[in-house]
Amino acid sequence: MICSLGDSLEEIVDAVRHKRIRLDRVPFTLASLPYTKPYYLIERNVTDKLHNRSEAYFYEVLFSAVSRAFLDAGLNKTEIRDMNVFFGSTSMDVPVFEGNHRKSSSTVSGTFLKSSYGYGKIAGAIVERFGIGGNCYSFATACTSSANALLYAAAMIGEGVIDRALVVGYDLFNNLGFYGFEALKSIAETDYRPFDKMRDGLILGEACGAVILEGKRRKAGDFIHLGGANLCDTYSVTSHDEEGFAVAETMNRALRQAGILPGDICAVKAHATGTENNDRTECAAMKVTFGCEMPPVTCLKPFIGHTVGACGVNELILFTESVKTGFVPSTPGFREVDDKLNLMPLTENMEAGEGIFMLNYFGFGGNCTTLIISNKGDRA
Amino acid sequence: MIAMYIHSASSFIGGENTDPIFLKEKLGSYTEEHFRRVNRFILLTLLGARQCVHNHALDFDTAIYLTTEHGNLGETASVLDEIYTAGSLPKPFGFINTMSNTAAFYLARNLGVRGRNIMVSSQHLSFERGLELLQVDFALGATGDALIGGVDEALLSRTTLEEQTNRVFKMVNGSGWLYVRPVKDGACGEISEIRSFSDGHACIKWMTERGKSNVDLVSFGALIDADEAAAMKKILHPLAEFDYLCDYGYSGSATACGISLFIMLFHGKTLLHINRDQRGHFAVIEVERY
Repeated sequence: MICSLGDSLEEIVDAVRHKRIRLDRVPFTLASLPYTKPYYLIERNVTDKLHNRSEAYFYEVLFSAVSRAFLDAGLNKTEIRDMNVFFGSTSMDVPVFEGNHRKSSSTVSGTFLKSSYGYGKIAGAIVERFGIGGNCYSFATACTSSANALLYAAAMIGEGVIDRALVVGYDLFNNLGFYGFEALKSIAETDYRPFDKMRDGLILGEACGAVILEGKRRKAGDFIHLGGANLCDTYSVTSHDEEGFAVAETMNRALRQAGILPGDICAVKAHATGTENNDRTECAAMKVTFGCEMPPVTCLKPFIGHTVGACGVNELILFTESVKTGFVPSTPGFREVDDKLNLMPLTENMEAGEGIFMLNYFGFGGNCTTLIISNKGDRA
Repeated sequence: MIAMYIHSASSFIGGENTDPIFLKEKLGSYTEEHFRRVNRFILLTLLGARQCVHNHALDFDTAIYLTTEHGNLGETASVLDEIYTAGSLPKPFGFINTMSNTAAFYLARNLGVRGRNIMVSSQHLSFERGLELLQVDFALGATGDALIGGVDEALLSRTTLEEQTNRVFKMVNGSGWLYVRPVKDGACGEISEIRSFSDGHACIKWMTERGKSNVDLVSFGALIDADEAAAMKKILHPLAEFDYLCDYGYSGSATACGISLFIMLFHGKTLLHINRDQRGHFAVIEVERY
């Protein structure tokens, strides 16, 4: 995983454990706006500065994250060759286009229409680079993109359709997203504070995460996917029904598919974008699902930002790697309970052992996805 | 293979410069909802899918699988122009609509369904991959009824495709849809095979081993070259080739359009659709029209 916290899992988990975050500010130069907004940027060395980025940089980050996932999983060449690729992203190849456009004098839309090779391009580049022989599936469901990639990769393995999957969530900084969310007035001024009374929006982040899924555990402590669900809340294209029923139904279906009850959940990783509507809807839905027995809730976006379509994979990695080292992360930045939500996320790291956990993801277009994962030894 | 029965099909194919106003007018034949702030991609999605389920009462849990090569190409280009050329923040709904799954959302809302809502892409094999996901959902019981379609705006740049294929295509806006259920009662056809191969040899071997189960019609995706098509026809002995690319034109979702056109046009026939991507991976879909 590569994100604003670093490019090694040890470094990233250590930062999470000690609530260290790294937040930049980015100006709206193209629109000549007289202010900046926060952004969780990847910065591994000086050449990573936004204005220096190129197509080569985009693929270097991607291939580096995938290489590390292969290395960490201990896959041999045959295992890599035979796997299938599930890719999820909101921006897809827009960062590549924007990088190329900076060096071009053509009209923007003309260049884009001619240079866009489609949503499947990035997964295609992964299989070419690593000699992967399996199929590619690129998911574009806004902020649930890579969560849905995980859902289907797990389902295909579970059904015996495939043996192994590489699941990648990748969204790199792009002006389309940064200016777009600013147009929606969704970006917070300074701090990321989901569920907090003083929350004022989301802060975008960039990340590339890669996970390997197989039908059997390779190492003790590896997580398994017990079940999941995806539904469409047709309330609004930008927000969810504030009563939370559609979101709650997604959680309940995931629980049923996993064959467990709400009381079996040890902790919930909330989507928690920090926007007014998301947090209200998500709280309402969790109350419908869990009633008065709400499990501990954590919000991971204050660590790495809202990585949009990539958050499915990257927050899964952040969560599982933290639990592997013994803790469920707290939510940095949370200060005051919002009486309307009446929910306090973890403010200190919680000791974690074996258990079953719920991960929630929501997106534009009413997309709702819930994953249920476990590290319990008896479910291998 | 889990049975996938086709209960209806539709294909909307529009000229390269189909006017969104024309699409809105045409959509008015199928729904009273007035759509604001929607673009060509969304209208193509709505029109193709509404045509498909016009005479069906849908279950609340019906799922939508939207496959595409390029997604919301036109609006993404316009929003980039707002940022880079006009130097302004984009219009909020313009930005939201760059996320192509909004098309599947508007469709779900219009139809009053809230099942799975998935958008998937895979270079030249998007529709085939979408069918594979649907098949897994059927097997898991995660989806009962489903609308699966392929939607793409006409490509303004032909260069890449023509370099890959050595063919010249008429570029069109395409939206092809199937209404698929796991029950046979009331069906007009079925998908009897979805299969992928890592190369052409494996695909040819499979065709050879199929023996006498010949098909009436064959059709080929854009990247199958003339030699490959000839070799396959020699094995399959079809009655005819359904060259939908020549007859109706190319869009990124030509496969979805071709298969839905087959269902609409060829009663009592079987079709084997053979496709490949630029890596040389092959995929076949066998369809029977009752």
